[in-house]
Amino acid sequence: MKRAFIGLWLAILISAPLWMGKSYFLHVSIITGIFIIASMSLNLLLGFTGQLSLGHVMFFGIGAYFSALVSLGFKLEFGDHIALVVPPQPVWCGFLAGIGAAGFFGWIVGKISFKVRGAYFVIVSLSFAEVLRLVALNWVSLTQGPMALINIPPFAIDIPGIWQGKLYGDVPNYYIVLCAAGLSYVIIRRLVGSRAGRAMIALKENEALATSIGIDVTHYLVLASIVAGAICGMAGSLYAHYIGIIDPDVFSFIYTVTMIIMVIIGGKGTLAGPIVGGLIFGFFPEFLRGNVPPEIQWIVYGGLMIAIVFMLPEGIVPAFKQWFRVLRDNAAAMWSSRKQAAVKD
Amino acid sequence: MIARTTLLDVENIAIRFGGVQAISGLTFSVHNHELLSLIGPNGAGKTTAFNAISGFLRPSSGRILYRGQIINGLKPYQIASLGLVRTFQKTSLFERISVFENVLIGLHRHAQQKSWESLLALPRVAREEAELRDRANEIISFVGLGSRGGGRAGALAYGEQRLLGVGIALAAEPQLIMLDEPVSGMNPTETIRFMDMLQKIRQRGISILLVEHDMRMVMAVSDRVVVLNYGRLIADAIPDLIQKDPEVIRVYLGQEKKIA
Repeated sequence: MKRAFIGLWLAILISAPLWMGKSYFLHVSIITGIFIIASMSLNLLLGFTGQLSLGHVMFFGIGAYFSALVSLGFKLEFGDHIALVVPPQPVWCGFLAGIGAAGFFGWIVGKISFKVRGAYFVIVSLSFAEVLRLVALNWVSLTQGPMALINIPPFAIDIPGIWQGKLYGDVPNYYIVLCAAGLSYVIIRRLVGSRAGRAMIALKENEALATSIGIDVTHYLVLASIVAGAICGMAGSLYAHYIGIIDPDVFSFIYTVTMIIMVIIGGKGTLAGPIVGGLIFGFFPEFLRGNVPPEIQWIVYGGLMIAIVFMLPEGIVPAFKQWFRVLRDNAAAMWSSRKQAAVKD
Repeated sequence: MIARTTLLDVENIAIRFGGVQAISGLTFSVHNHELLSLIGPNGAGKTTAFNAISGFLRPSSGRILYRGQIINGLKPYQIASLGLVRTFQKTSLFERISVFENVLIGLHRHAQQKSWESLLALPRVAREEAELRDRANEIISFVGLGSRGGGRAGALAYGEQRLLGVGIALAAEPQLIMLDEPVSGMNPTETIRFMDMLQKIRQRGISILLVEHDMRMVMAVSDRVVVLNYGRLIADAIPDLIQKDPEVIRVYLGQEKKIA
């Protein structure tokens, strides 16, 4: 039953470009997919270690910028005579560099939050993201500042002598994002189901008790931060190579807010939560755009959010699980009572 | 008499909170395979001593040695990973997850898998997970919560929550377990059952340091009793002698009157 359900999901996702037709929907799907990846990484911190990272977009921006710069090539000048010149590298190098750099920043943030939890962690992460936005804005010789990095090359397949081509357009990018999302899902799922994941949940639920039974909570907070950073960096890198242009706005606070909404609405601390939340808040605004006058759109959007938070405070996925459990129990009860009746007859 | 090896040595520790001297010059030790009780009136410094030993507080002077190794200054998780595990006075659980998962988290120290091995889903990880589940079930039935494994920890009755707290600590495989008022809030039947469990814990070769107010239980289960008053040690003897100690009687009853 469960396997059939997953199979159906996969079939829908894989065949989507065939029946979606209009390329605009595919574009929305790709952007939604990228944000789902970022939300999944946020969920690892927020939902499993319990730390709200309000500057989560920093990893997204770092992934985007590092990936773009490495694939475009760049020049770093130290004083008048020394310069580091990096010629343009293949896109996959940039992709890995983006992931690595974001993971490294995840390590730094995790280390800094060594003693700060809760509200302090929120402030540290928020300031970090804002500082990085200012760096991207003002380090014009490297990042082009507000002029943006343009002509970022798309992903390319280069098998020498056999085939080589650039993966322009929506269909290839859709599959790239789908693979990346699948990979991220598997990584997070395996992590939270393991000893490390249980240590993270222990940190979220009761830190004093966790340390009293020998769990080095800081170690696992840093680990979660690195993995979340790297995955979010991957999302940023995918974004950069798909859109082809990035400016310091990739560090905008509003992106963090979007990810948090996706996680909270879907159900934080559940594996499917960010996916469900991401699908709803990725497609819903587009659906509204086509059917409702603009002044109503935001009212409906906000109203829906308030309604969900009020009625399903734990998020959609936990609520559905609860309903499913009740339904199944009722069905089982009915079945057994019918059996008893049959025996009596 | 068997040769006694000491497990825990508390040597002359002092703890100050601002101007309040919570503990001064406290010295005692726990021997291997012993059940030592730490008693005293409210505010005597029992829980403070517990917090110091388990690394949640730092003594301002003195030393604490566990198996000959100085442990004051270590972090709580480091002390726990040496095999010295505590429970808390206020019930402390991972409340929003199931009883089973609580114990599974407690097995952290026992599990060997590295994070990257879990990411690659190596076969040995799956084997270990299966083994951990068996072990968790075994501990849950050991503390008498056999039928409650699937329920939410926070939904247990109060006495059961205290049992689960002990179960989590046992999962961390202590050689010395420190129990902070484990039977407070339990009814007499539950207390008697808990006393049986203490014996079973000792049969596993685990030493116990107990803080408790229930004197009947303390006198029944302890090998030795240490009495604190205003942060000072006033008696250290076997239960029979403690019950006759005039200083202890004075502290508990407040008057130098003859006790019938």
